[in-house]
Amino acid sequence: MSYQAAHGRPVAWLTMLLGLMFQIMPLPNLVEAWRPDWLLLVLIYWSMALPHRYNILTAFMMGIALDVLLGSVLGIRALAFSLVIYVVVLHFQRLRNFPLWQQAFVVALLVSFYHLVVFWAEFVIDGAHFNISLFLPAVASLLLWPWVFMILRRLRRHYKVR
Amino acid sequence: MKPIFVRGISIQLRLTLAIVLSVALMLANDRLEPVRQSLSSFLSPLQYLANVPGLLLDWSAESLATRNMLEKQNKELMRQQLLMSERLQRFEQLRQENDRLRALLGSPVHMDARKMVAEVMEVASDPYRHYVVLNKGSDSGVFVGQPVVDAFGVVGQVTQVSKLTSRVLLVSDASHGLPVRVTRNDVRLVANGTGVLDEIELKHVAKSTDIKAGDLLVTSGLGQRFPEGYPVARVTQVIKDDGQTYASVLARPLAALDRIRYVLLIWPELETGTPTEFVEPDKDAEVKS
Repeated sequence: MSYQAAHGRPVAWLTMLLGLMFQIMPLPNLVEAWRPDWLLLVLIYWSMALPHRYNILTAFMMGIALDVLLGSVLGIRALAFSLVIYVVVLHFQRLRNFPLWQQAFVVALLVSFYHLVVFWAEFVIDGAHFNISLFLPAVASLLLWPWVFMILRRLRRHYKVR
Repeated sequence: MKPIFVRGISIQLRLTLAIVLSVALMLANDRLEPVRQSLSSFLSPLQYLANVPGLLLDWSAESLATRNMLEKQNKELMRQQLLMSERLQRFEQLRQENDRLRALLGSPVHMDARKMVAEVMEVASDPYRHYVVLNKGSDSGVFVGQPVVDAFGVVGQVTQVSKLTSRVLLVSDASHGLPVRVTRNDVRLVANGTGVLDEIELKHVAKSTDIKAGDLLVTSGLGQRFPEGYPVARVTQVIKDDGQTYASVLARPLAALDRIRYVLLIWPELETGTPTEFVEPDKDAEVKS
């Protein structure tokens, strides 16, 4: 069992690193505003599937990493990730039993919540301007969630991550 | 087997901990520069990795260029080079004249600053800020506060450095301020970013100030950060409204902030403590006269 645990865990971390990389990948200007929150999607998946292994502290660490990579004030995304993942961990059993499309809508809600928290923090710190395009990533995440979910579930089953 | 009974601390406690920690981090942000620097050195391979698709695109565009295109480009560059070298000849003569005049006045001579070309990495940054990431870091001697210019004018200044990358705050960012002067009459002003990429504003301009649309703004060197004389922006609009205390002046940055690819990092030479240098042109002047 210990062998399997050691076998699976790097896979989860690797997917998170991939999410981090996709998050800072250049996109054409046209779709830049729609950039899906890859890292958050991956974090939501893992904290839903294995809430005792990957939860708020994982999200916090990834948030710090993303803050460093984006050059924003340290702690903004750490805070937002922690809040979102808290909600996920609190309701993981209910979320798991939702059909995929319903899950996708909940995920979109969570993503919009994340963007609101980030906006709020940036607003308090530096007075950012509100723009309705804030919610475009939520739409993109809504469309992508089924795929992310299937791929990650397949990975989790194949590598027996637990 | 799932570890049902070994949950450790409750999630509420974890959340409280995370919130307290992140708020503390936000408050202490300005003092965390060393931490950020080491963390971002640690994470910069990810940035290089994320930049790969862009590099591949560039590479394929270059290797798929037709002979015709290359010839055209070559011709254009030749023409530019000719124009530039002619201008440089005049400039050289002016520089000598300027040095002599400065020596006569006893004021310190302009030194040639050290420069380095850096490439802008195509990675995403905080959407609420105007940042670009450069592919040179503290290993190449880049430091926080370093001026960055491109072929047309001032781009911004370095605000964060890691070992292999650095982050530049653009002049258009709302938190960026830059001391400038008007070339026409040496009026000194401060240019602030507005958060719009092609617009900067001049704040607290008295309505009696002699400034009009079309004026060229260059760095005044008063902030001790940018060397003097680099072009920054051109004034686009001056509104003197009787209801307002100050005139509202907008300008457009000269640097192509929305499509910068290559920039110059500048190491400004300190003008104090170099007495040997400004004796030399004196002698030069004597020899020549």
